[in-house]
Amino acid sequence: MGTENIFLSFINTMNERWSMVLDSLISHIWLTLIALLIAVLIGVPLGIFLTRRRKIADFVIGVVSVFQTIPSLALLGFMIPLFGIGPKPAVIALTIYGLLPILQNTYTGIIGIDQGAKEAGKGMGMTSTQILFMVEIPLSISVIMAGIRTATVLIIGVTTLASLVGAGGLGDLIFRGISSVNPGLILSGAVPAAVLAIFFDFLLKFLEKKMTPRGLRD
Amino acid sequence: MDIRKLRKKLVLGAVMLILSISLAACGSSSSKKIVVGGKDFTEQDILVNIVSELIEAKTDIKVDRKPYLGGSSVVTSSLQSGDVDIMVDYTGTGLVSVLKEEVIADADEAYRVVKERYDNDFGIKWLEPLGFNNTFAITMRKEMADEIGIETISQLKDHAKDLSFASTQEFLEREDGYDSMKEIYGIEFKDVKAMDPGLAYTAIKEEQVDISVSFATDGRIPAFGLKILEDDKNFFPPYDAAILVRNDILEEYSELEDVLNSIAGKLTDEEMAKLNAQVDLEKKDSKQVAKQWLVEKGII
Repeated sequence: MGTENIFLSFINTMNERWSMVLDSLISHIWLTLIALLIAVLIGVPLGIFLTRRRKIADFVIGVVSVFQTIPSLALLGFMIPLFGIGPKPAVIALTIYGLLPILQNTYTGIIGIDQGAKEAGKGMGMTSTQILFMVEIPLSISVIMAGIRTATVLIIGVTTLASLVGAGGLGDLIFRGISSVNPGLILSGAVPAAVLAIFFDFLLKFLEKKMTPRGLRD
Repeated sequence: MDIRKLRKKLVLGAVMLILSISLAACGSSSSKKIVVGGKDFTEQDILVNIVSELIEAKTDIKVDRKPYLGGSSVVTSSLQSGDVDIMVDYTGTGLVSVLKEEVIADADEAYRVVKERYDNDFGIKWLEPLGFNNTFAITMRKEMADEIGIETISQLKDHAKDLSFASTQEFLEREDGYDSMKEIYGIEFKDVKAMDPGLAYTAIKEEQVDISVSFATDGRIPAFGLKILEDDKNFFPPYDAAILVRNDILEEYSELEDVLNSIAGKLTDEEMAKLNAQVDLEKKDSKQVAKQWLVEKGII
């Protein structure tokens, strides 16, 4: 099949099945956002906690890394007896996959800030909570956000596999296209997923800029 | 004598010896051997071994087993070109994938058409069907089917609104898949989940779904205690398995056809599924499984 034909069949599929594409896109966004939110809520506090307990940091990050290496199909297979099918096992698996970049970057970001800045805060009589929120987090926000952005793109990609446990998403279109040798159908799942990844990355970049302290912006 | 010279002579001698042995081996293997080929999945591996064991036990013909040759098209074209002499194929595959014909719902008619066309077009003979039909199967956990008293897909109609269905993406997408089935049987499930084929078995085994679609001879059906609901409206296209042999081979070895036909009709869906389970799930050797089946049936 020529490139032009694939493009045409992609346009046709989008035309004929726009409602299915839309449904899949919406469930894809939901799965991604919920998993991302949980991953941030676990990853950032855990990362901060580990900067206070550096002795166990390597161990904890190592354990999270091990989860990352489990093949997704195998992970989903383990989930079914525990959590059933549908969105629940999918979100849990996605959270596990998104955790490492967030945790890693939060830890590395805060560890890496200039000790002088912390000393200065202490010298001004700041409590350790104040140092955290007024010195450490603002100074490492770009590194933390970079981790969240990596996790977002990763999760959007892996969410296509949610379709394997009956959770829907754009993977439905991709896997149907593969099983019926229909490139147009594959693209009608893959292209929106790619666009979604670019869009979210852009959005988070914008957010990162807003969150960076004025004195640190270039 | 110089050590170096001696070493050279020894090496030369060894090379000559290896060459002559391997040439001799080539010579003898090309004398009287027929090739049994198979596609790249377990069931075909077992079938290659059943056919080969049968030939070796009942005739003097030497057999070269070539399981896992590749996909359907690879094995079929090897059979057409003569690189393979015998294979096992399914009527639906021959009809739709090879001959590019429309699906024929009637099993006998489908068999008649492929038999005639293969003979005319390729010089290949379809022997008598083996007895199993590896088509789509709607399955349910046995205890659940017994509890609500269901034997056929038609009987699902009254219960479907309380049941969830795990389907492969392929079955949802095919024209002769879920949508047509829904229409012909008038079934509307409570919930339809599209899943990975392997994970759908996990889901039905773990009671996360009630009904699932699979292939009739999958080893996981007997292994997980599933029951196939009878396709009482003959909705699924027939995929009856039969041994295919090149006509020139049948002429060359006149005893072959009767020997191969001695297992016709003896391998049911259930038995094939059990053989698949022995290899896939119990990790037995497919050659042993094949031989054991032939012995148990009193064929060899």
